[in-house]
Order: sequence, then C-alpha cells, then structure tokens
Amino acid sequence: MKFNQQSEQNTEEVNGKKELNASAEKKTKWSRKRKSQLTSSLFVLPYLVMFTAFLLIPLIYGVYISFHKYGLLSKDRPFVGLDNYKKIFDPNSYVNEIFFTGLWNTFQFVIYSVPLLVFIGLGLALLVNSLPSKIRGLFRTFYFIPYAISVSVISILWLWILDTNSGLLNNFLMKLGFDPIPWLTSQPGAWISIVAATVWWTIGFNMIIFINALNEVPESLYEAASIDGAGAWSKFVNITLPSIRPIMLFVVITSTIASFNVYGQPYLMTGGGPGDSTNVLLMGIVEQAFEERQLGSASAMAIIMALIMIIVSIVQFKISKAGQKGDQ
Amino acid sequence: MISRSKKIFLISLASVIALLFILPLAWMVATSFKNDFEAIAGGLNFLPKDFIIDNYVYTLLGDGLSVPVLKWMFNSIFVGVSGALIIVFIDALAAYALARLDVPFKKTLFAMFVSTLMIPWVITFLPLYMEFSHLGLLDTYAALILPYSANAFGVFLLFQFFKGFPKELEEAAYLDGANKWQIFTKVVLPSARPIMWTLAIFSFMTIYNDFLWPLVATSSPEMRTITTGIAIMQQGSFVSSYGKLMALTTIATVPILILFLIGQKHLIKGITQSGIK
Repeated sequence: MKFNQQSEQNTEEVNGKKELNASAEKKTKWSRKRKSQLTSSLFVLPYLVMFTAFLLIPLIYGVYISFHKYGLLSKDRPFVGLDNYKKIFDPNSYVNEIFFTGLWNTFQFVIYSVPLLVFIGLGLALLVNSLPSKIRGLFRTFYFIPYAISVSVISILWLWILDTNSGLLNNFLMKLGFDPIPWLTSQPGAWISIVAATVWWTIGFNMIIFINALNEVPESLYEAASIDGAGAWSKFVNITLPSIRPIMLFVVITSTIASFNVYGQPYLMTGGGPGDSTNVLLMGIVEQAFEERQLGSASAMAIIMALIMIIVSIVQFKISKAGQKGDQ
Repeated sequence: MISRSKKIFLISLASVIALLFILPLAWMVATSFKNDFEAIAGGLNFLPKDFIIDNYVYTLLGDGLSVPVLKWMFNSIFVGVSGALIIVFIDALAAYALARLDVPFKKTLFAMFVSTLMIPWVITFLPLYMEFSHLGLLDTYAALILPYSANAFGVFLLFQFFKGFPKELEEAAYLDGANKWQIFTKVVLPSARPIMWTLAIFSFMTIYNDFLWPLVATSSPEMRTITTGIAIMQQGSFVSSYGKLMALTTIATVPILILFLIGQKHLIKGITQSGIK
C-alpha cells in the first residue's frame, strides 16, 4: 500500500506542489514507521538470538542427529535414515531393551508419584487454609522449604536417613524392636524411597498452586451452600473440587512432566538398582550418549520420549475436558 | 466458627507434618558438627556430643582435599547471578516489545516462544551438548550460563505484566519527547521491579540447583558447580564420612536457603502466576 502512494507521486506530479508536499509527508511518515518498527525489533533481538541459538537450533539439530549414526567422538557420521528409530522397536536390539526397561521404570515412577503429588499437595493446601490466619504463612513456609534445595542434597540426605545399617529410620525401627529394612537395595523399598524423597522435596510447589486456587473460590458459593445446609464434605465435593478443576489439571500435567524427567533421585539414591528396577529412561539415554557414545540412537530415544510426554499431556487435557462436559 | 478442640487438632497435625519437613534438614546441620565416629554410629542422638567444626574446616580448606569446594560455591553463585541477570534483561526487553511496541510479526513471535514451553527439554539436551562441543565451549562458564537464557517462561511471565500496565504513563512520557528506550528504562522498568525480582529469584534457584546439565557440560573439577560437586564427592572420597558430607551439603544449602527465605514472597507470586491458565 505504501508503495502505491509512492507511484501515485510519479503519475500525479501535475497536481502541483501541494500534493507533492503531502506525499512527501506520507513518505517520511512511512519511513518513520519503518524506523520505529526497526527500533522496536531491537528490543526483541537479544532474546531472539538466545532462543535461536539454544532452543531452535538444538531442536532441529536433535532431529538431524537422530537420523545419523552419530558417534560422540568419531568424525564419520553417516546418514542412516530411520535406523535409530527402527532399532528402538526391534526386539532383538539392545537399544530396544534399554528403551523399554527405562520407559517402564519411568512409567512406574509417574504412576506412583503423580497421584501423591496431587493429593498430598491439595491436602496440605486445605490444611494450611484451615489454620488460623496468623500462622498460615509460617506453615506454608515450613512445607515449602525443601523445594529450595538441590536434588543432590535431597538425595544424599535421604540416602542417609534410609541407610540400612546406620540410617535414622532403621535405627528408629530397631529401637521399636523391628528388623532393619534394606530400603534402597530391595523392592518395593527402592521405589518407596525415591517416591517419598521426591514428594517431600517438591510437594511445596503444588501446595502453593492449590492454596492460591482455593483462595480464588468465591466465598458466596460456600455461604449459599451453608444456607442450604450443606456439610463440609458436600461443600468440598460440590463447590471446591469443580472450582479448582482447571488448576488441578495444571498440577497433574506439570507433575507428570516433572516425573517423566526424573533423573537425580534414582541416579544418586539407588544407582538404578536393585538390578535395573529403578533405571529410568533418562538414565538410559544419558548412558547411551556418554558411555556407549551413540548420540544418534540416544537422540532418537529422547525424541520418542518427548513425543510420549506430549501425548500423555494431551490425553490428560482431553480427559479433563471430557469430564467437565460430563458434569454439565 | 471452628471449635476450639478442632483448632487444636489442626494445629497439632500441621506441626507434626512441619517436623517431617524440617527435621531431616536440622539433622543434616546437626550431623555436620559431629565427628565421623558419632555420625556413622547413627543412633537417635540429635545433638552432637562432641561439637566440632573440623568437618567445615576440612571441607573448605582441607590440605588433603583434592577438590576446590570454595571454587564450586563461587561457580554456582556466579553462574546463578549472571544467568539470572541475562534472563531478566533480555526477557524484559522482549516481553515489553511484544506487549507494547510495534514489532513486525509480534503475534507469530510470541506464539512461537510460548509454544516451546510445551516442548520437553529432553529433546534439546543432547544437541545442546554437541553444539557447545562444536563451539569448543564445553567446560566453560558460557556452557553453564547461556542455555538457560533460551527459556520462554520469563518472556511469558513478564508479557502478562506489561499487557496489564497502564498506557497513560507511557503516553505522557511520549508527549514529553522521550524515546522508547527512555520510556522503557525510566517509566516501565521501575514499576516492573517486583515481577523482575520474581523472575530473577526463580532463575537463580533453577540454575543453582540444576543437576544434569552442569554434570554433562563440565568435566574438570574446577568447573563443577556445588550441586554436581556434591554428587561426585558422595560417590568418591566422602563416601564413608557422613560428617564431612553433611558439612558439604550444609554449605551448599545455606546460601540458597537464605535467598529463598528472603525472596519467598516473590517466589510464591511467580508460582501463582505460572499456575494461572
């Protein structure tokens, strides 16, 4: 459109100085707009550079790597098409075993931890909210503190509490006359340990989200229910739960994604054992990349893992939406 | 409204649970002051019989110690602070421009940035390693800092804030002849200070506590962060000395805990805002 105005200038020269001035003004207005857009773009540029360099390029590069036999150290990295993907699904390949053992272990962790992370998070939020308002902040801080600490400190702390011979928990059990339990070197002890440490570590985050959601529920709904003679449980089921449903979905999805990414706890607490029962998928991918030095198949595994995570999130979202419709 | 006995029950329940969250940490600190014999013997003695600071002296300055714990602390804090500064700076610029200025294709750009929040990071982790390897930047501060700056969370968080920022203040400044940069730094940024603190604290904690990326991105003992350093010590020379290990974990935890307690309000705000859909 702006260019048309310029060509108008050429054809309508006869219309005199006045017109010329007007179009010159338009032209400067136009270049001013271009200049303004340019300076505005400069604001976005630094982030765009980082985004491109450390997110967009790795994303594309990751797909590229997955189509190659890509040794970590070798210079020769031939294109192999879908071979890396095929191997994952070929029951005779060792990559297949690493992938599906890891996936199964990761699924187990997700299934054990997510319901606890959601329901204990909600339970703590309800508990904190039912306390006198003066001490709410204090207890919220207590439950939230472990979230500030790194996974290596958390793992070492729990490793030590759960130690078979000198751990705090077994010492306590022995005082009560029980035999010590080899928490980290037997199943289901190892899963219980990893899940307990994870819940203890991260539950504060979910609790905060739930506290906020609970505070957003309009007080008038509860008042109306009280007038109708509804009890505490009935209020919880009929008012609280439906009101916080979107936040519940958010917590379920973020907890699921976080649980899929579990690495530090099994790596440091059980080393993937006993056997390979807590060897999660991310550990398998890291091993494949840095010990086997096969980045091609490790990348293919990472991409399939990511696709599974995306699919699981979408399914959770759809189920929640379907449930909401069913209510109405 | 709540009966007195119910109130007492709720407070007691909350207190018992609070103990579960606090005791392990208190025990970590208490053990860091015990000698090895007492620490390994375990038992249920909470306070050290023999209160010693040797574990700290050895961990921080020990002659026979082959690892630089103080350097690890420096690395973690340096990397966390620089990372947080970069993130806050570039995210604020981008978010403001996308929310308020006439950037071409801004809707497309914003949609592209936000959609990457849904991409699991596991996809980018190995290629990122190779990228830094090609650039010859593995085992450097660049590798420990730069990857975090691509995360779109901050852009998203600040974008929401700038969208809701009253236009009148900016317009008044435009009439006074201020340019975009002046308006951004003099008018917009001062009012965005709290939300930028939120993002800064969030970013610092994420970087300080991250484990897998610094573990693979660094290889020399001098370039480790405290979080990865601990993991190495636990599997190495501190494996049998709980007292020293607990001194090390306490050293790693104290700075982040202080920051956490100071910045808690901002952190809660950030979590709350990230939870709003």
